[in-house]
Amino acid sequence: MNTKQPGPTDRSSDGGSSTAPIIAKGLVRHFGSVKAVDGVDLEVHEGEIFGFLGPNGAGKSTVIRMLTTLLKPTAGSAQVAGFDVVTHANDVRRRIGVALQDAAIDPLMTGNELLHLQAVLYGLPVSQVRARADELLERVGLVGAADRRVGTYSGGMRRRLDLALSLIHQPTVLFLDEPTTGLDPMSRIALWEEVRRLNQEGTTVLLTTQYLEEADQLADRVAIIDHGKIVKEGTPTALKASVGAPTLLISVAAAQALTARDVLAKFGELRTTSEGSLGVGLEGGAGAVTDVIRALDDAGVKVQHLELNEPSLDDVFAESTGYRLEGAASTGMTDAAGPAPARKRGRRK
Amino acid sequence: MTSTVTILAGQATGGTLLRSARGLAMRGLRSIRRLPSAFFPALAMPIFQTIAFSGTFFAITKIPGFPTHRSVNWYLPLACCMGSGFGGIGLGFSTVRDIESGFFDRLRMAPAPRLALIIGPLFAVWTRVLIVITAALIVGFLFGARLTGGVVGLLLMYVAGLGVATVAAGWGLGLAYRFGDMRAAALMQLTLLTAIFLSNAQAPLNVMSGWLHAVARINPFTNILRLAREGWLGDVTWNATWGGLVSIVGISALTLAFAYRGLAKLAD
Repeated sequence: MNTKQPGPTDRSSDGGSSTAPIIAKGLVRHFGSVKAVDGVDLEVHEGEIFGFLGPNGAGKSTVIRMLTTLLKPTAGSAQVAGFDVVTHANDVRRRIGVALQDAAIDPLMTGNELLHLQAVLYGLPVSQVRARADELLERVGLVGAADRRVGTYSGGMRRRLDLALSLIHQPTVLFLDEPTTGLDPMSRIALWEEVRRLNQEGTTVLLTTQYLEEADQLADRVAIIDHGKIVKEGTPTALKASVGAPTLLISVAAAQALTARDVLAKFGELRTTSEGSLGVGLEGGAGAVTDVIRALDDAGVKVQHLELNEPSLDDVFAESTGYRLEGAASTGMTDAAGPAPARKRGRRK
Repeated sequence: MTSTVTILAGQATGGTLLRSARGLAMRGLRSIRRLPSAFFPALAMPIFQTIAFSGTFFAITKIPGFPTHRSVNWYLPLACCMGSGFGGIGLGFSTVRDIESGFFDRLRMAPAPRLALIIGPLFAVWTRVLIVITAALIVGFLFGARLTGGVVGLLLMYVAGLGVATVAAGWGLGLAYRFGDMRAAALMQLTLLTAIFLSNAQAPLNVMSGWLHAVARINPFTNILRLAREGWLGDVTWNATWGGLVSIVGISALTLAFAYRGLAKLAD
């Protein structure tokens, strides 16, 4: 279920405008002979949560690094908060907040000290630094740990501090690079809530994730990136609708797999799934399940397990890229098989 | 209960050079207290060198033309300059760690002047170096070092130490930014040691010969060490001073420019 709550200026359905807070045109980035990003066009609308979905090594973080002025594009251009990321990098920096992957925080410093340093680097008036730091510590629930060294924090606490650091100057655009990777489910949900709250307060959010559920839950629009290219873009609802029929998944004994496959093929397009199960895009929808069971029974196939799944973003991903997103299953988010082969992609650096 | 701060969204001004540099310097200084194990070798090395060199090479003072009869007077300024150099190189090491951990990305994304990212930590290095030189001096005095050039001579040794630290820090930062990993560390140490030892570090120019003499004569570290030793080998004179000052300013400018350019190239 998509629990996304619209922000104050939810424009996920309109066509955007020239004043969009994030605009990228033909972004390309090479690292030696490797083309990490290969012509990315992007437009994120004001007040939107935009999800950037892709496996490790797809180019998500490289795009973020270019948009946040850490890397210069090899070709193409990008504007963030109305300023070119190369020629007006400092104007961009004043307006954006960034929480990068891995929450890189000096372990020798305390949360309070880090917030104070961040406030100084962003030019907050001296009179406001302490109050702003206290406000953010309260917001992310770290008041009690404020004077402890960050090296003693848990992963979730580090992420929350990272988020607080990125908010010190009240940015209009917030970049979150895989903000929940490595977090336990509770911490993940808490962070989602905070992202929603920030968005409702008017902050435009671009988040990268390799978790399908995260994109589904949070994002107004999603772009799927693979091998440095955006292969699909749209609202989660529209993307899922584009996949078509729901997937019927069954498990049968290995000896009966071929027979079962022949039976399923009569009800729609076969969808290869994870090993040990078979899938079919059920053209007749839920109403056809009974017919499938009857046909399997008539063919002497004993069904061990059966489930019907609505299309998910994993299906969209699989349809767009030809493989499934690694990690989706481990988060308990992939509840449907899809039209693509079940091979999972290895981690690429 | 905290009060709410009103900050206009997207209106951050960006930190000023001095305020940002001070903030970063404080970060560097905190690590002395919080990670003393990292600071202790830098503190101990010049003390150890002063004692070991002046004891082991005591006989060097017997060489005709050697400018002092106290070996500790010769080696104490060298140890202070080397300790200062390694203090500067230490900034390169810690920057590599920041780059590898990703913390340096956070600093680069801040709208503070780029120069603050260099001079802030450099302020911290200077403070550490002042502590190191002072500690080495106390031990040097205990082992028989005597000033011949008065307070000015003492100050000039501090100036030389801070200068070497600046040169080394610029060099270390430049390499750290370019390599971005610990490959830079070996290069930082090797080049600094080579530069110092191919000077008048161990023996005065007038007792050197051959290619070593030729190299030492044009090595700017020779001038810097001469400056550091002025107050320990005789009277302080302008003739022995200006070359050291020019060398410090010249190489510091070059290495800091090397660092600044390297910082800009991180985005390339």
